[in-house]
Amino acid sequence: MDKYDQIKSFLLILFQQTGLTEIWWGNLVMMFVGAWLVYLAITKKYEPFLLIGIGFACIISNVPGSDLTQPGGLFYIAYQGVAQLIVPPLIFLGVGAMTDFGPMIANPSLVILGAAAHLGIFVAMIAAKVIGFPINEAGAIGIIGGADGPMAIYVTMKLAPHLLPQISVAAYSYMALMPLIQPPIMKLLTTKAERQIVMDMPRFVSRLERIVFPIVIAVVVNLLLPPVAPLITMMMLGNLFRECLLVDRLADTAANEILNIITIVLTVAIGSTMEASQFLNWQTLQIIFLGLVAFVFGTASGVITARIMNKISGGKINPLIGSAGIASVPIAARVSHMVAQRENRHNYLIMHAMGPNLAGVFGTAISGGIMLALLGAK
Amino acid sequence: MTEITVPNTVEGAVVLSIIDFVLSMVFIAGIGVMLHFFPYLNHIGEIKEDDLSE
Repeated sequence: MDKYDQIKSFLLILFQQTGLTEIWWGNLVMMFVGAWLVYLAITKKYEPFLLIGIGFACIISNVPGSDLTQPGGLFYIAYQGVAQLIVPPLIFLGVGAMTDFGPMIANPSLVILGAAAHLGIFVAMIAAKVIGFPINEAGAIGIIGGADGPMAIYVTMKLAPHLLPQISVAAYSYMALMPLIQPPIMKLLTTKAERQIVMDMPRFVSRLERIVFPIVIAVVVNLLLPPVAPLITMMMLGNLFRECLLVDRLADTAANEILNIITIVLTVAIGSTMEASQFLNWQTLQIIFLGLVAFVFGTASGVITARIMNKISGGKINPLIGSAGIASVPIAARVSHMVAQRENRHNYLIMHAMGPNLAGVFGTAISGGIMLALLGAK
Repeated sequence: MTEITVPNTVEGAVVLSIIDFVLSMVFIAGIGVMLHFFPYLNHIGEIKEDDLSE
Protein backbone atom coordinates (compact mmCIF):
# COMPACT_ATOMS: atom_id res chain seq x y z
CA MET A 1 0.00 0.00 0.00
CA ASP A 2 1.53 3.29 -1.01
CA LYS A 3 1.25 6.50 0.92
CA TYR A 4 -1.63 7.75 -1.19
CA ASP A 5 -3.75 4.65 -0.44
CA GLN A 6 -2.86 4.90 3.24
CA ILE A 7 -4.04 8.51 3.44
CA LYS A 8 -7.16 7.56 1.48
CA SER A 9 -8.01 4.73 3.91
CA PHE A 10 -7.40 7.00 6.92
CA LEU A 11 -9.75 9.60 5.46
CA LEU A 12 -12.33 6.91 4.73
CA ILE A 13 -12.19 5.65 8.31
CA LEU A 14 -12.46 9.22 9.55
CA PHE A 15 -15.46 9.81 7.28
CA GLN A 16 -17.17 6.64 8.49
CA GLN A 17 -16.84 7.85 12.08
CA THR A 18 -18.75 11.05 11.33
CA GLY A 19 -22.51 11.41 11.23
CA LEU A 20 -22.41 12.15 7.51
CA THR A 21 -22.91 8.47 6.63
CA GLU A 22 -26.19 8.26 8.58
CA ILE A 23 -27.80 11.59 7.77
CA TRP A 24 -31.06 11.47 5.77
CA TRP A 25 -33.53 14.07 4.50
CA GLY A 26 -35.67 13.73 7.64
CA ASN A 27 -32.78 15.00 9.76
CA LEU A 28 -32.43 17.99 7.49
CA VAL A 29 -36.17 18.76 7.73
CA MET A 30 -36.04 18.58 11.53
CA MET A 31 -32.91 20.73 11.65
CA PHE A 32 -34.85 23.27 9.63
CA VAL A 33 -37.78 23.00 12.08
CA GLY A 34 -35.38 23.54 14.98
CA ALA A 35 -33.84 26.55 13.25
CA TRP A 36 -37.35 27.92 12.61
CA LEU A 37 -38.19 27.64 16.33
CA VAL A 38 -34.99 29.51 17.19
CA TYR A 39 -35.88 32.11 14.54
CA LEU A 40 -39.39 32.59 16.02
CA ALA A 41 -37.91 32.93 19.51
CA ILE A 42 -35.24 35.45 18.58
CA THR A 43 -36.84 37.57 15.89
CA LYS A 44 -40.54 37.34 16.83
CA LYS A 45 -39.88 36.97 20.59
CA TYR A 46 -42.33 34.02 20.81
CA GLU A 47 -41.57 32.36 24.16
CA PRO A 48 -37.77 32.70 23.79
CA PHE A 49 -37.13 31.06 27.18
CA LEU A 50 -38.65 27.87 25.82
CA LEU A 51 -38.17 27.89 22.07
CA ILE A 52 -34.42 28.67 22.01
CA GLY A 53 -33.59 25.55 24.04
CA ILE A 54 -36.14 23.37 22.26
CA GLY A 55 -35.04 24.54 18.80
CA PHE A 56 -31.33 24.19 19.51
CA ALA A 57 -31.70 20.71 21.02
CA CYS A 58 -33.89 19.72 18.06
CA ILE A 59 -31.13 20.74 15.63
CA ILE A 60 -28.41 18.90 17.56
CA SER A 61 -30.53 15.78 18.09
CA ASN A 62 -30.84 15.44 14.35
CA VAL A 63 -27.09 15.46 13.80
CA PRO A 64 -26.44 11.70 13.63
CA GLY A 65 -22.91 11.88 15.04
CA SER A 66 -24.00 13.49 18.30
CA ASP A 67 -24.09 11.26 21.38
CA LEU A 68 -25.94 13.79 23.50
CA THR A 69 -29.25 11.96 23.16
CA GLN A 70 -27.73 8.50 23.77
CA PRO A 71 -27.60 6.93 27.26
CA GLY A 72 -24.99 8.85 29.22
CA GLY A 73 -25.37 11.98 27.10
CA LEU A 74 -26.50 15.20 28.77
CA PHE A 75 -29.68 15.55 26.70
CA TYR A 76 -30.55 11.95 27.57
CA ILE A 77 -30.02 12.66 31.26
CA ALA A 78 -32.16 15.81 30.97
CA TYR A 79 -34.92 13.72 29.40
CA GLN A 80 -34.78 11.33 32.38
CA GLY A 81 -35.80 14.28 34.56
CA VAL A 82 -38.94 14.59 32.46
CA ALA A 83 -39.52 10.84 32.16
CA GLN A 84 -39.20 10.35 35.91
CA LEU A 85 -41.64 13.26 36.45
CA ILE A 86 -39.12 15.27 38.47
CA VAL A 87 -39.11 18.32 36.20
CA PRO A 88 -42.85 19.23 36.06
CA PRO A 89 -43.34 19.49 39.87
CA LEU A 90 -40.18 21.64 40.15
CA ILE A 91 -41.52 23.96 37.46
CA PHE A 92 -44.73 24.27 39.44
CA LEU A 93 -42.67 25.11 42.56
CA GLY A 94 -41.11 28.02 40.70
CA VAL A 95 -44.40 29.11 39.15
CA GLY A 96 -46.05 29.11 42.58
CA ALA A 97 -43.22 31.22 44.00
CA MET A 98 -43.64 33.85 41.30
CA THR A 99 -47.45 33.94 41.15
CA ASP A 100 -49.77 36.31 42.96
CA PHE A 101 -53.06 34.47 43.48
CA GLY A 102 -54.67 37.64 44.83
CA PRO A 103 -56.79 38.29 41.69
CA MET A 104 -58.25 34.78 41.94
CA ILE A 105 -58.97 35.06 45.67
CA ALA A 106 -60.51 38.50 45.17
CA ASN A 107 -62.93 37.40 42.46
CA PRO A 108 -64.23 33.91 43.27
CA SER A 109 -67.20 34.17 40.91
CA LEU A 110 -64.81 34.27 37.93
CA VAL A 111 -63.08 31.04 38.98
CA ILE A 112 -65.65 28.98 37.07
CA LEU A 113 -64.13 30.30 33.82
CA GLY A 114 -61.06 28.22 34.66
CA ALA A 115 -63.12 25.09 34.01
CA ALA A 116 -65.39 26.46 31.28
CA ALA A 117 -62.45 27.29 29.04
CA HIS A 118 -61.37 23.66 29.00
CA LEU A 119 -64.06 22.38 26.72
CA GLY A 120 -61.35 22.25 24.06
CA ILE A 121 -59.64 19.41 25.95
CA PHE A 122 -62.68 17.20 25.49
CA VAL A 123 -63.47 18.23 21.92
CA ALA A 124 -59.88 17.38 20.94
CA MET A 125 -59.99 14.12 22.90
CA ILE A 126 -63.20 12.96 21.18
CA ALA A 127 -61.83 14.07 17.78
CA ALA A 128 -58.61 12.14 18.43
CA LYS A 129 -60.60 9.02 19.29
CA VAL A 130 -62.77 9.42 16.18
CA ILE A 131 -59.70 9.52 13.91
CA GLY A 132 -58.34 6.37 15.48
CA PHE A 133 -56.10 7.15 18.46
CA PRO A 134 -56.46 4.79 21.46
CA ILE A 135 -58.30 6.47 24.34
CA ASN A 136 -55.19 6.96 26.49
CA GLU A 137 -53.43 8.74 23.60
CA ALA A 138 -56.59 10.74 22.87
CA GLY A 139 -56.66 11.91 26.49
CA ALA A 140 -53.03 12.98 26.36
CA ILE A 141 -53.66 14.86 23.09
CA GLY A 142 -56.73 16.56 24.55
CA ILE A 143 -54.75 17.95 27.48
CA ILE A 144 -52.88 20.18 25.00
CA GLY A 145 -56.04 22.31 25.25
CA GLY A 146 -55.25 22.99 28.88
CA ALA A 147 -52.46 25.27 27.61
CA ASP A 148 -50.31 24.27 30.56
CA GLY A 149 -46.94 22.86 29.47
CA PRO A 150 -45.86 21.03 32.64
CA MET A 151 -49.35 19.58 33.11
CA ALA A 152 -49.42 18.40 29.48
CA ILE A 153 -46.04 16.71 30.02
CA TYR A 154 -47.17 15.17 33.29
CA VAL A 155 -50.41 13.73 31.89
CA THR A 156 -48.68 12.55 28.70
CA MET A 157 -45.96 10.75 30.64
CA LYS A 158 -48.68 8.94 32.58
CA LEU A 159 -50.93 8.11 29.62
CA ALA A 160 -48.85 7.97 26.44
CA PRO A 161 -45.15 8.68 27.07
CA HIS A 162 -44.21 7.87 23.46
CA LEU A 163 -46.19 10.94 22.35
CA LEU A 164 -44.24 13.37 24.56
CA PRO A 165 -42.33 15.08 21.71
CA GLN A 166 -45.39 15.81 19.62
CA ILE A 167 -47.63 16.83 22.52
CA SER A 168 -45.08 19.02 24.31
CA VAL A 169 -44.06 20.76 21.08
CA ALA A 170 -47.72 21.33 20.13
CA ALA A 171 -48.58 22.63 23.63
CA TYR A 172 -45.65 25.04 23.88
CA SER A 173 -45.93 26.19 20.26
CA TYR A 174 -49.62 27.03 20.57
CA MET A 175 -49.01 28.74 23.91
CA ALA A 176 -46.45 30.92 22.15
CA LEU A 177 -48.90 31.57 19.32
CA MET A 178 -51.88 32.47 21.54
CA PRO A 179 -51.62 36.19 20.72
CA LEU A 180 -52.34 35.17 17.12
CA ILE A 181 -54.86 32.37 17.71
CA GLN A 182 -57.16 33.89 20.33
CA PRO A 183 -58.02 37.48 19.24
CA PRO A 184 -60.00 36.58 16.07
CA ILE A 185 -62.13 34.09 18.05
CA MET A 186 -62.64 36.61 20.87
CA LYS A 187 -63.76 39.28 18.42
CA LEU A 188 -66.02 36.91 16.55
CA LEU A 189 -67.90 35.90 19.71
CA THR A 190 -68.30 39.32 21.36
CA THR A 191 -69.82 42.67 20.44
CA LYS A 192 -67.86 45.92 20.41
CA ALA A 193 -69.92 47.19 23.37
CA GLU A 194 -69.09 44.07 25.39
CA ARG A 195 -65.38 44.40 24.66
CA GLN A 196 -65.48 47.95 26.02
CA ILE A 197 -66.92 47.01 29.43
CA VAL A 198 -64.77 48.39 32.25
CA MET A 199 -64.93 46.11 35.28
CA ASP A 200 -65.02 47.19 38.94
CA MET A 201 -61.75 47.14 40.89
CA PRO A 202 -61.21 43.83 42.72
CA ARG A 203 -61.23 43.91 46.53
CA PHE A 204 -58.13 44.00 48.72
CA VAL A 205 -56.80 40.56 49.72
CA SER A 206 -55.21 40.37 53.16
CA ARG A 207 -51.93 38.65 54.03
CA LEU A 208 -53.82 36.10 56.13
CA GLU A 209 -55.96 35.08 53.13
CA ARG A 210 -52.86 34.83 50.95
CA ILE A 211 -51.16 32.52 53.47
CA VAL A 212 -54.21 30.34 54.10
CA PHE A 213 -54.92 29.89 50.36
CA PRO A 214 -51.96 27.63 49.40
CA ILE A 215 -52.38 25.48 52.50
CA VAL A 216 -56.10 24.92 51.94
CA ILE A 217 -55.70 24.24 48.21
CA ALA A 218 -52.86 21.76 48.81
CA VAL A 219 -54.94 19.84 51.35
CA VAL A 220 -58.05 19.80 49.12
CA VAL A 221 -56.13 18.67 46.02
CA ASN A 222 -54.24 15.94 47.89
CA LEU A 223 -57.50 14.75 49.36
CA LEU A 224 -59.63 14.81 46.23
CA LEU A 225 -57.24 14.64 43.28
CA PRO A 226 -54.22 12.51 44.21
CA PRO A 227 -53.17 11.88 40.56
CA VAL A 228 -52.12 15.53 40.10
CA ALA A 229 -51.34 16.32 43.71
CA PRO A 230 -47.54 16.43 43.21
CA LEU A 231 -47.83 19.37 40.81
CA ILE A 232 -50.35 21.47 42.72
CA THR A 233 -48.68 20.70 46.06
CA MET A 234 -45.34 22.01 44.81
CA MET A 235 -47.00 25.08 43.34
CA MET A 236 -48.69 25.80 46.65
CA LEU A 237 -45.41 25.30 48.54
CA GLY A 238 -43.72 27.84 46.27
CA ASN A 239 -46.63 30.21 46.78
CA LEU A 240 -46.45 29.82 50.56
CA PHE A 241 -42.73 30.70 50.41
CA ARG A 242 -43.73 33.85 48.56
CA GLU A 243 -46.72 34.93 50.60
CA CYS A 244 -45.42 34.33 54.13
CA LEU A 245 -42.77 37.03 53.47
CA LEU A 246 -40.41 35.30 55.90
CA VAL A 247 -38.37 33.21 53.49
CA ASP A 248 -37.73 35.55 50.60
CA ARG A 249 -34.50 33.75 49.79
CA LEU A 250 -36.33 30.45 49.28
CA ALA A 251 -39.04 32.14 47.22
CA ASP A 252 -36.43 33.90 45.09
CA THR A 253 -34.44 30.68 44.61
CA ALA A 254 -37.56 28.76 43.57
CA ALA A 255 -38.77 31.52 41.24
CA ASN A 256 -35.40 32.28 39.69
CA GLU A 257 -32.50 29.85 40.05
CA ILE A 258 -34.51 26.61 40.25
CA LEU A 259 -36.99 27.66 37.59
CA ASN A 260 -34.21 28.80 35.26
CA ILE A 261 -32.21 25.60 35.67
CA ILE A 262 -35.30 23.46 35.23
CA THR A 263 -36.30 25.44 32.15
CA ILE A 264 -32.92 24.61 30.57
CA VAL A 265 -33.34 20.94 31.46
CA LEU A 266 -36.92 20.85 30.19
CA THR A 267 -36.29 22.60 26.90
CA VAL A 268 -33.30 20.49 25.92
CA ALA A 269 -35.19 17.37 27.02
CA ILE A 270 -38.15 18.22 24.77
CA GLY A 271 -35.95 19.29 21.87
CA SER A 272 -33.89 16.12 22.15
CA THR A 273 -37.00 14.00 21.56
CA MET A 274 -37.64 15.63 18.19
CA GLU A 275 -35.50 13.17 16.26
CA ALA A 276 -36.68 12.81 12.66
CA SER A 277 -37.45 9.08 12.74
CA GLN A 278 -39.73 9.61 15.76
CA PHE A 279 -41.22 12.93 14.78
CA LEU A 280 -41.74 12.97 11.04
CA ASN A 281 -44.94 11.04 10.59
CA TRP A 282 -48.62 11.50 9.85
CA GLN A 283 -49.48 11.13 13.55
CA THR A 284 -47.49 14.28 14.39
CA LEU A 285 -49.50 16.35 11.90
CA GLN A 286 -52.73 14.96 13.35
CA ILE A 287 -51.64 15.83 16.90
CA ILE A 288 -50.61 19.34 15.91
CA PHE A 289 -53.98 19.87 14.19
CA LEU A 290 -55.88 18.48 17.21
CA GLY A 291 -53.92 20.82 19.48
CA LEU A 292 -55.17 23.76 17.45
CA VAL A 293 -58.75 22.41 17.69
CA ALA A 294 -58.33 22.22 21.48
CA PHE A 295 -57.09 25.82 21.73
CA VAL A 296 -59.84 27.19 19.47
CA PHE A 297 -62.68 25.43 21.30
CA GLY A 298 -61.20 26.26 24.72
CA THR A 299 -61.00 29.95 23.85
CA ALA A 300 -64.53 29.93 22.42
CA SER A 301 -66.10 28.13 25.38
CA GLY A 302 -64.40 30.51 27.83
CA VAL A 303 -65.63 33.61 25.98
CA ILE A 304 -69.17 32.24 25.60
CA THR A 305 -69.37 31.37 29.31
CA ALA A 306 -68.06 34.83 30.25
CA ARG A 307 -70.71 36.33 27.97
CA ILE A 308 -73.42 34.38 29.76
CA MET A 309 -72.00 35.55 33.11
CA ASN A 310 -72.03 39.11 31.80
CA LYS A 311 -75.74 38.85 31.01
CA ILE A 312 -76.48 37.35 34.43
CA SER A 313 -74.45 40.03 36.24
CA GLY A 314 -76.21 42.83 34.39
CA GLY A 315 -73.29 43.81 32.18
CA LYS A 316 -70.53 43.92 34.80
CA ILE A 317 -68.21 41.31 33.27
CA ASN A 318 -66.15 41.91 30.16
CA PRO A 319 -66.46 38.64 28.17
CA LEU A 320 -62.88 38.99 26.94
CA ILE A 321 -61.66 37.63 30.27
CA GLY A 322 -63.27 34.27 29.42
CA SER A 323 -60.49 33.28 27.04
CA ALA A 324 -57.96 33.72 29.87
CA GLY A 325 -59.49 30.69 31.59
CA ILE A 326 -57.46 28.54 29.21
CA ALA A 327 -54.49 28.74 31.67
CA SER A 328 -51.09 29.53 30.14
CA VAL A 329 -50.28 32.13 32.80
CA PRO A 330 -49.92 35.02 32.06
CA ILE A 331 -50.05 34.87 28.25
CA ALA A 332 -53.83 34.34 28.04
CA ALA A 333 -54.52 37.18 30.50
CA ARG A 334 -52.22 39.45 28.49
CA VAL A 335 -54.14 38.59 25.31
CA SER A 336 -57.46 39.53 26.99
CA HIS A 337 -55.91 42.82 28.11
CA MET A 338 -54.42 43.49 24.69
CA VAL A 339 -57.74 42.96 22.87
CA ALA A 340 -59.57 45.15 25.41
CA GLN A 341 -56.98 47.91 25.01
CA ARG A 342 -57.59 47.98 21.26
CA GLU A 343 -61.21 48.93 22.00
CA ASN A 344 -60.56 51.25 24.94
CA ARG A 345 -57.05 52.40 25.80
CA HIS A 346 -58.08 53.14 29.39
CA ASN A 347 -59.43 49.66 30.08
CA TYR A 348 -56.91 47.73 32.21
CA LEU A 349 -58.38 44.25 32.02
CA ILE A 350 -55.24 42.34 33.02
CA MET A 351 -55.96 42.26 36.76
CA HIS A 352 -59.46 40.91 36.08
CA ALA A 353 -58.24 38.40 33.50
CA MET A 354 -55.60 37.04 35.90
CA GLY A 355 -58.35 35.53 38.10
CA PRO A 356 -59.72 33.17 35.41
CA ASN A 357 -56.19 32.68 34.12
CA LEU A 358 -54.97 31.37 37.49
CA ALA A 359 -58.16 29.37 37.91
CA GLY A 360 -57.35 27.84 34.53
CA VAL A 361 -54.21 26.29 36.03
CA PHE A 362 -56.40 24.54 38.57
CA GLY A 363 -58.96 23.75 35.86
CA THR A 364 -56.35 21.95 33.78
CA ALA A 365 -55.02 20.13 36.83
CA ILE A 366 -58.52 19.04 37.82
CA SER A 367 -59.41 17.90 34.28
CA GLY A 368 -56.08 16.07 34.01
CA GLY A 369 -56.46 14.50 37.44
CA ILE A 370 -59.96 13.23 36.73
CA MET A 371 -58.81 11.92 33.33
CA LEU A 372 -55.89 10.04 34.92
CA ALA A 373 -58.19 8.59 37.56
CA LEU A 374 -60.82 7.49 35.02
CA LEU A 375 -58.23 5.97 32.72
CA GLY A 376 -56.67 4.14 35.63
CA ALA A 377 -53.22 5.71 35.19
CA LYS A 378 -50.89 5.01 38.11
CA MET B 1 -48.30 1.26 33.04
CA THR B 2 -51.79 2.40 32.14
CA GLU B 3 -54.78 0.30 32.98
CA ILE B 4 -57.70 1.49 30.89
CA THR B 5 -60.95 1.37 32.79
CA VAL B 6 -63.02 3.42 30.32
CA PRO B 7 -63.99 1.56 27.10
CA ASN B 8 -61.52 2.24 24.30
CA THR B 9 -64.26 3.48 21.96
CA VAL B 10 -65.65 6.80 20.78
CA GLU B 11 -68.55 6.30 23.20
CA GLY B 12 -65.98 5.78 25.97
CA ALA B 13 -64.27 9.05 25.03
CA VAL B 14 -67.61 10.89 25.02
CA VAL B 15 -68.60 9.47 28.40
CA LEU B 16 -65.15 10.27 29.84
CA SER B 17 -65.37 13.82 28.45
CA ILE B 18 -68.83 14.47 29.91
CA ILE B 19 -67.89 13.10 33.33
CA ASP B 20 -64.57 14.94 33.36
CA PHE B 21 -66.04 18.27 32.21
CA VAL B 22 -68.95 18.18 34.66
CA LEU B 23 -66.73 17.12 37.58
CA SER B 24 -64.19 19.80 36.69
CA MET B 25 -66.94 22.41 36.83
CA VAL B 26 -68.11 21.04 40.18
CA PHE B 27 -64.57 21.00 41.62
CA ILE B 28 -63.72 24.47 40.44
CA ALA B 29 -67.09 25.82 41.55
CA GLY B 30 -66.29 24.27 44.94
CA ILE B 31 -63.02 26.22 45.02
CA GLY B 32 -64.99 29.35 44.08
CA VAL B 33 -67.46 28.77 46.93
CA MET B 34 -64.57 28.24 49.33
CA LEU B 35 -62.97 31.49 48.20
CA HIS B 36 -66.25 33.33 48.81
CA PHE B 37 -65.74 32.61 52.50
CA PHE B 38 -62.13 33.81 52.55
CA PRO B 39 -62.98 37.39 53.59
CA TYR B 40 -64.38 35.93 56.82
CA LEU B 41 -60.83 34.86 57.73
CA ASN B 42 -60.15 38.51 58.38
CA HIS B 43 -62.62 38.41 61.27
CA ILE B 44 -60.50 35.73 62.94
CA GLY B 45 -57.34 37.77 63.00
CA GLU B 46 -54.80 39.80 61.14
CA ILE B 47 -51.20 39.29 60.15
CA LYS B 48 -49.21 42.50 60.23
CA GLU B 49 -46.84 42.56 57.27
CA ASP B 50 -44.39 44.74 59.18
CA ASP B 51 -43.84 41.85 61.62
CA LEU B 52 -42.95 39.52 58.77
CA SER B 53 -39.40 39.80 57.61
CA GLU B 54 -36.55 37.40 57.04
